[in-house]
Amino acid sequence: MKIINNFVTTLFFACHCVALVFSGLVLAEQTEKQIKISDPAKVVVIVNRDSNDIAFMDIDSNKIIGSVFLGKNVNPHMAMMSRDGRWVVTGGTRANKVYIIDVATLTLVKEIPVDFAPEHLAFSPDGRYYYQGNPDGDSVSVIDMASLTEIKRIQGFAEPLNITFTPDGTKAYVGNYGAHWVGVIDVTRHELLKKIHVGIVPEIAVLDPERYLEEIKGISNVSMANDGRYLYAADGDLGIVSVIDSREDKVVKVIRVGADPWRAYMSHGGRYAVVANNGDETVSFIDTRQNEVVATLASGPDMMGINFAANKAFVISSSSGFLYVYDMVTLKPAGRIKIGVNLQIETATTDTSAQKLYLASSTDHSVYVIDAVTEAVTRVANVGLYPWGTHILDSKDNYCH
Amino acid sequence: MIYTNETRSRIRHRLSVCVLLALLTLSVFVPVSAQPQGHEVLLKRLKALEQRVIELETTTVLSDPETSVKRIEVFVDENGIEHDRQVPNSQRVVTYQRERVFRRQTINEKIEEALTDAERRSVQVNVDAAIVLQSVQQSRGANTPAAGSTYQLASTDLYFTAGLAQNTLFFADIVGLSGTPQDADVEELAQTNGYGARLVKQNDLSLREAWLMTELWSQQLSLIIGRVDLTNYFDANAAANDETTQFLSDALVNNPALGLSENGAGMALVYDPKGVFVIKLGYQQSTDAATNLSDSLYRLVELGYRANPFRLGEGNYRGWYRQDNTGSGLSAYGISFDQKLTASTTVFSRYGANEVEGDSDDDIHYSLGVRFNNGLGFNPEDAWGIAYASSDFTSDDKEHLLEAYYNLRITEKLQFSFHLAYLTEKTAESETISYIVPGTRLQASF
Repeated sequence: MKIINNFVTTLFFACHCVALVFSGLVLAEQTEKQIKISDPAKVVVIVNRDSNDIAFMDIDSNKIIGSVFLGKNVNPHMAMMSRDGRWVVTGGTRANKVYIIDVATLTLVKEIPVDFAPEHLAFSPDGRYYYQGNPDGDSVSVIDMASLTEIKRIQGFAEPLNITFTPDGTKAYVGNYGAHWVGVIDVTRHELLKKIHVGIVPEIAVLDPERYLEEIKGISNVSMANDGRYLYAADGDLGIVSVIDSREDKVVKVIRVGADPWRAYMSHGGRYAVVANNGDETVSFIDTRQNEVVATLASGPDMMGINFAANKAFVISSSSGFLYVYDMVTLKPAGRIKIGVNLQIETATTDTSAQKLYLASSTDHSVYVIDAVTEAVTRVANVGLYPWGTHILDSKDNYCH
Repeated sequence: MIYTNETRSRIRHRLSVCVLLALLTLSVFVPVSAQPQGHEVLLKRLKALEQRVIELETTTVLSDPETSVKRIEVFVDENGIEHDRQVPNSQRVVTYQRERVFRRQTINEKIEEALTDAERRSVQVNVDAAIVLQSVQQSRGANTPAAGSTYQLASTDLYFTAGLAQNTLFFADIVGLSGTPQDADVEELAQTNGYGARLVKQNDLSLREAWLMTELWSQQLSLIIGRVDLTNYFDANAAANDETTQFLSDALVNNPALGLSENGAGMALVYDPKGVFVIKLGYQQSTDAATNLSDSLYRLVELGYRANPFRLGEGNYRGWYRQDNTGSGLSAYGISFDQKLTASTTVFSRYGANEVEGDSDDDIHYSLGVRFNNGLGFNPEDAWGIAYASSDFTSDDKEHLLEAYYNLRITEKLQFSFHLAYLTEKTAESETISYIVPGTRLQASF
């Protein structure tokens, strides 16, 4: 009997030892994970739409450090890093969920169900909240970054795309691509406060139902001047950029630009708002001091984004595989950079020193690193399937389609 | 074996301790999520999942993972082993590979993709139709047959475009013209209806253009070869270069000094590195009557410069020179510019001089005008303009033209414009004759 007793005691002692060893291993593994990314400012976040993952590339070596798989048929659209570099968040367009990734360990820590087709997003300046636009659900989800939960779903939008917070974090402006108004959210209460009407649809539009009733091209983004005073909202159907005074939430000027403007991109110094007009393949340069168009220059088809570096503007012409370059001092064309043939290039981010661009190229699964000064192009292949966008912490050119 | 009560109690006690320890051990390994949930929570979760399945089924195509063939670059080492990334002693090789992706699309996206793909593979046909109605009122000089007469001209262009290869396309323009332009009655030297300049044969279809275009050197050099209209590539002007949407008079469509009235077999080269300079070279057969190209060779060269003076807005400045070896080989030169003053206001001017056979002097042509658009009209997409053109011929004939138009953009495909021209002609042999030519143009593009 004593032998049995001793055996049972020994067995459970052994079990505990094994448990302790396993716990140690788990802890060791976690410790190992924690050192994957020690400096979040030194990585390029890459959104891979078709391999359904978020990849992280070392900014110095251009090597992929790792990637976080989100799940099949998630199809992430845009990713953004929290201001403290702790989290990367993304909306899974076809999963109707948002995903929160721990940057240090490259682990998926939370999936949060939201509304239909989450795409564009933004963090509040204090990093407490992250607003996720759900264009097919006509709503904006408010994600509390402390509890990692959706604390509210703000309804009443019309295809909400990009979201812009004021510097003090009290308000957020939402571009509605399915309407001609900008939504103003009271961030304290997470409520849709106002709808700013950006322009009048011309009376003659009634004669052109094919254009005005079949598809609406409203506002994709509200771009903010560096001082936060004025906002620039381009409206595709109306061919205008409306200047909104953020103190009064009122349109103070309507600037006519080219056909079908996609959005305004603010130059780093804040002097110009550069608008990509996809309808007539031009770019309009708005001088923000006078709020006047000072140049309209020819560009390429299907413009997806504009980056600024080394006193130049780089306009991404998606279907042509070219970056059109403009001198930001003389406001003249300065050539174009050929990325490749039969490529679809997407969006890019600029590093914090404004020297290099990191351009996602979806059809060849690559990221192209472009030296803004020399215009030399380096390809980083096999970053994942269908890279759709890139992001760098604190970059001034973090945007999505 | 018989156990005493004490022994039983000890065994029971030890077993209890064992169970507790086992539960504790399990709690270390079993994740929190596997712990029993409340019945209500599970029901709520099931309901949410059911809702999600419904949403997915209603908005997405439930299909196998997408497969597509992609052009990829791999690295092949000395042993012929393929690597995704560069390894020592490997070569970059372009190949094609099928890929399977997990991308869920909505039904709308699927349909749109299929339609776009079908459109891309097919020959595209576009139509550009216009009806120009003009009335000629003579205000000065002895009456001519045109006085008080009304003229109408209908024009239809059929454009065919097909992509043949990478950066290579075929284009053809078949035009049919019908009607009576005033040119036969008005003894004008420059036509007040630019469509009339295209009229080769009444009520007949003619091949206006048919060319192949390819882009080389990173698409910086465009090569257009076939039956071409060189005026489409040279002396372009942002505000006065198109009789279908801008001024009607031919003198405000092209510089008369270009002296090209017919399209013909030829070639155009356009070198545009998308910087500030553009260089263009071209030649074409200048007359259909010629039996070979050498006897009727029309050559043209142009240098263009893009500027933004005083931050006014973009401006295009160009100078050209042409030679035509038909007859005694005459040449001409010209300069022109269009400059935005504001986002809505563009000024333009042209100047040209052409040699005249048997005369040491040149015919001189110039024009200048202004175009307003981008919101300076009744509707945001309307445009209007006013321009003056003058021709001074070595024969001492002179012609002055003033034209104003308002183009009302009714829909994306339909435009209606009002024109008013005042034409003064003075020939060496006769007195000055003036005409007032009001007109309308209905133009449809689809």
